[in-house]
Amino acid sequence: MERLTGIVVIVGNYGSGKTEVSINLAVNRKRAGIDVRVADLDLVNPYFRTREARARLSELGIDVVVPPEKYLQADLPILSPVIAGMIRRPSQLTLIDAGGNDVGATVLATLADSFRDKRVHMLQIVNPFRPFTDTISGCLKMRDDIEKASKMTVSGIVGNANLIDETSIEDIYKGYDFVKALSDESRLPLEFITVAIELLPEIDVERFSCPVLPIERQLVPPWKKAAKLN
Amino acid sequence: MGKILMKGNEAIGEAAIRAGCLNYFAYPITPQSEVAEYLSRRMPEVGGVFLQGESEIAVGYMLFGAAGCGARVFTTSSSPGISLMGEALSYISSAQCPAVFVNIVRGGPGLGGILPSQADYFQATKGGGHGDYRLLVMAPDGVQEAVEMVMMAFPLAEKYRNPVMILGDGLIGQMMEPVEFPDHLKSEPSNKDDWATNGMDTRKSNERNLVKSLFLNAELLEEHNRVLKAKYDRMKKEEVRYEPYNIDTDYQVLIVSYGIISRVCRTAIDNLKAEGFEVAMIRPKTLFPFPEKAIEEAASKDSCKVVVSIELSMGQMVEDVERSVHGKRPVQWFGRSGGDIPTPEEIIDVIKSFVTL
Repeated sequence: MERLTGIVVIVGNYGSGKTEVSINLAVNRKRAGIDVRVADLDLVNPYFRTREARARLSELGIDVVVPPEKYLQADLPILSPVIAGMIRRPSQLTLIDAGGNDVGATVLATLADSFRDKRVHMLQIVNPFRPFTDTISGCLKMRDDIEKASKMTVSGIVGNANLIDETSIEDIYKGYDFVKALSDESRLPLEFITVAIELLPEIDVERFSCPVLPIERQLVPPWKKAAKLN
Repeated sequence: MGKILMKGNEAIGEAAIRAGCLNYFAYPITPQSEVAEYLSRRMPEVGGVFLQGESEIAVGYMLFGAAGCGARVFTTSSSPGISLMGEALSYISSAQCPAVFVNIVRGGPGLGGILPSQADYFQATKGGGHGDYRLLVMAPDGVQEAVEMVMMAFPLAEKYRNPVMILGDGLIGQMMEPVEFPDHLKSEPSNKDDWATNGMDTRKSNERNLVKSLFLNAELLEEHNRVLKAKYDRMKKEEVRYEPYNIDTDYQVLIVSYGIISRVCRTAIDNLKAEGFEVAMIRPKTLFPFPEKAIEEAASKDSCKVVVSIELSMGQMVEDVERSVHGKRPVQWFGRSGGDIPTPEEIIDVIKSFVTL
């Protein structure tokens, strides 16, 4: 994950885990001593967005760019002008959490001017336990759709295989094998995979050819507690 | 692959397909638009029909038309959209057509907000449209149960020739949970030759069928309303569903709570139990018919001091809880209505405050 610097755009289908991965990647990199900013570009879905975890990220010194407070809970497509600015002058790591599917990625195309001449990593988050990305061809179609809508190119894959609380160790290994095959088929590097921090002690990480990002779950329903971030 | 990870809205769409419903008409509205988005892609894959109406009023009558022809059909919407379908719901109920409506409730009244709410309890259980009619109303507490209720809804709608409503909320629509689609809930559409306008050639009959809700003659209208009432009475006998929780203890408080907020109550009950404070819950899974007897019995337990209706509204289900308890215990209400869902800690404080009153 060390090579992920500059602008990193997180894309993928609805519910692939873009926001949970973005938050955890931001925290991981911040702990490694890197300056991190996160932009919530999800203009599509009003629930479970980066903005929900903003306070916790701010406490760690991670700057989160979201629409103005009074519009926070509106389902309005508000693109803060600050985002164009942060793309033009990126911090050590600028994470852009896009909305789901090609529809959510469309907004990236409107930022084309700002992205011009910038080196951008665009990572496709894949959870093979989600509908429409449970086959290699489904993932490739999703990538094509997102690339067309965003007018940008996916540069790497992130494996985020999980069934939330019901994820088994077997699921993690199956998920890894799936994204490895996707990486071979698409010739895109497998940047990292994720594993819930509770499962990590039982996982043989030597089995993986890529780094592992531990997930400390932040987006939880109201009857559960988000993991404490230190 | 066994379980898959689905958003409530996607799972509701898939559940309808698995239940054998291949007709879906809808108009988008937050927080349920993903159902339409999902089915716009899935229906063509399975040879079904996805049709976006020009408004919810149109959608309501598209359902009437399709159901009247004997097709399995459903729609999804959210609160203001369901209001617009109210007239059609009344017509469909009167004409005794089976159809399934899913309401992913958002805050109200008026345009309200787009966050989770249970403020459409009255609309779903007491009317919304005009006239003497009832809907069979089921309320899931999560994504898996939403799947099961949607799959059950179609045969139930056909059993009673009546609309069935699934009352969810924005969080159930938007949250993700692992789900599976139980094979045993798949069902074949019932034979509708006796009443549906499915074509005299189709049913090889010389008798015409007429689907209607107009009865100008006073005697005929009253007779029709008695037929409908008999169906609602039968629902009260045969379809009451609920889940008791921690009911075998000497609980001091009985919570009545349904849908997503019951999940918070469950955590609160577990945490209170760890403190040695027993609280029980009756979770209605059907809101009409309402589990009156179960609530009355649970409230009557010697140890029970108070009954609390906890809901995401300003006090709607509490009226049915009061009616069920028959004055045997004091009934209190706690609700939130802006879209913020209380934490288990907030529920615990509320429960304790009612005991020390």
